Amino acid sequence: MSAALQPAAGTEILEVKSLSMRFGGLLAVDGVDFQVQRGSITALIGPNGAGKTTVFNCITGFYRPTAGQIRLRRADGSVAALQTLKDHRIARAGVARTFQNIRLFAGMTVLENLLIAQHIKLQKATGFGIGAMLGLSGYRAAEAEAIDRAAEWLRAIGLLDRADDIAGGLPYGAQRRLEIARAMCTMPALLCLDEPAAGLNPRESDDLAKLLVSIRDGTATASPPTSVLLIEHDMGIVMRISDHVVVLDHGRKIAEGPPDQVRNDRHVIAAYLGEDEEG
Amino acid sequence: MTTPQSASIAARLRAATLDALKATGIAFGLFVVMVGLRTDIGPTGALLLRTRWPDVAALCAAVFILRLVLALSVRPQQAAVTPARWAAGLSRAGLLFGPALLALALILPFIPGIGRYELDLGILVLTYVMLGWGLNIVVGLAGLLDLGYVAFYAVGAYSYALLAQYFGLSFWICLPLAGILAAFWGVLLGFPVLRLRGDYLAIVTLAFGEIIRIVLLNWVSLTGGPNGISGIPRPTFFGLPFSMGGGPGTFAGFFGLEPNPSHRVIFLYYLILALALLTNWVAMRIRRQPIGRAWEALREDEVACRALGINITNTKLTAFALGAMFAGFAGAFFATRQAFISPESFTFIESAIILAIVVLGGLGSQIGIAVAAIVMIGGFELFRDLDEYRMLVFGGAMVLIMVLRPRGLVGSRSPSVLLGARRE
Repeated sequence: MSAALQPAAGTEILEVKSLSMRFGGLLAVDGVDFQVQRGSITALIGPNGAGKTTVFNCITGFYRPTAGQIRLRRADGSVAALQTLKDHRIARAGVARTFQNIRLFAGMTVLENLLIAQHIKLQKATGFGIGAMLGLSGYRAAEAEAIDRAAEWLRAIGLLDRADDIAGGLPYGAQRRLEIARAMCTMPALLCLDEPAAGLNPRESDDLAKLLVSIRDGTATASPPTSVLLIEHDMGIVMRISDHVVVLDHGRKIAEGPPDQVRNDRHVIAAYLGEDEEG
Repeated sequence: MTTPQSASIAARLRAATLDALKATGIAFGLFVVMVGLRTDIGPTGALLLRTRWPDVAALCAAVFILRLVLALSVRPQQAAVTPARWAAGLSRAGLLFGPALLALALILPFIPGIGRYELDLGILVLTYVMLGWGLNIVVGLAGLLDLGYVAFYAVGAYSYALLAQYFGLSFWICLPLAGILAAFWGVLLGFPVLRLRGDYLAIVTLAFGEIIRIVLLNWVSLTGGPNGISGIPRPTFFGLPFSMGGGPGTFAGFFGLEPNPSHRVIFLYYLILALALLTNWVAMRIRRQPIGRAWEALREDEVACRALGINITNTKLTAFALGAMFAGFAGAFFATRQAFISPESFTFIESAIILAIVVLGGLGSQIGIAVAAIVMIGGFELFRDLDEYRMLVFGGAMVLIMVLRPRGLVGSRSPSVLLGARRE
């Protein structure tokens, strides 16, 4: 699956360059470089405390990195320097994320969750709130379109018949899928997933893997192919669907490459699989 | 077969009697002071203590019988069945309840037997309904606990009073200005508290409410300090004053009516009704809009909002500003109704009452807040005869509501948008 995705200059969607993050005396991330190729699934793995989530939070703007650069190259060729942007600006620049512990709007319905994800687009259609307040047609059309997109994603994740149910009442696996659909409703260029398979049973993990591949290939819905960056502990999923794997340990990158190569890397076995029972 | 059955009946009868006796004991304790002893003003002007023991006995007997019947009629297994049936009936009744309440509010001034006192009470209740709906935007939708809401009410009232006093502006010009000024102060409060949540936000808003009140109290040269501002112009019917003269330029003269002081009261009643309905309409509409959904999302999870590209700063500030604006409108109305305002009207207890209305009514529920305002403010007036006991009664009522319905009178949230027809 990675035949067409050999790293080549200029095809990367995300470029992380000598990224460092310091918390007081602790250097959580130490000069990490890696790239996410356009149209690929890139996995970020490593033992607990390796700095994966910190890297992730730097990319998605929840932390401001101490040093380094993070560049997002969008489809139109424009480049956004993510390390300088505030978090909600990063989402608008085209990076969507999910959370390790699910963060849905639990008291609201499934459909509402997906409409909030399209807030920016809808808010523009309201005409400073006045047009929508009076029920003008411009806003109605925008809302109908947003609902259509939400319904499309609900069909893709198999939750269409639960659209009007409270999100907090869904089964755990469905909540995970809904969070991914919500992130995709922001129409991102890059989807960042923080342990999407945590707590899923084998069948649900399987469905998740298929969903991620269909998101990468753009077959899930009418939306264009989307590159994926994920942190994952479930090595089964990582090895099966990733095109590229980056391994961190103690805040440094110790290996990267296609899954097969990483699996047999001496450093990785020593740092991760050897010392840790999880492998 | 008969022996265990009759034994169980005897046991139930004993339990029910005991329960009824307990209830009667409590009722007796309350009624002795509330009903049994009454002070009247005698013919010489002296206070007379009148006792009404038969009334107390009748009430206690009624409590005993009702409690006994209740305890005997409610079977344990029935208790599980009735709530479902009740709930279905209640939700059906709930659909009609709002319109019925609105219709009653619309025709209230023309119902026979509704006098000046009842209309004044209606105006007071509607003012609190409006304040409750305004605060609901901040607390119920956006989830920002605001303990200083009365500050914006004060800003609105003083805006109108001062603009009318110093510049002679009319009520109809000052009403939007009061709203804008209050919204401005809402934003001003919003900025420093953007990063705060929950308890910390509550403390800062509480302090803000006190700052406004203390500034009003001490800035004597502008606001008159504790003496307040009097002689605030009364509202006109779009330029036609309500004067008793009955000349051609007055309301009564223009419409060829007999001059009557109740005209102004009825006008004020409809004015506050219109303002309250405006608040309701805006809040209901905005809840179905992106900004309203963003407020609710903010209440649910701020971090997820940021990850979805929602600008937290603007979202919070619009909630503060809009909530404050409606308090400003209500404040301007308050000033023109009273014709006199002083900082005493804007103490913390007002904020607490408005917040209690919102919480008791059910955060986010419009109809629940209206009912809570009627119960809190109307009930408070109704039980005026209880004197110092009414605080006790109200404390008890509030505890009861929170025990029975922890999420407020109307605790359920209706979705802002549905994909299909709601499935049963």
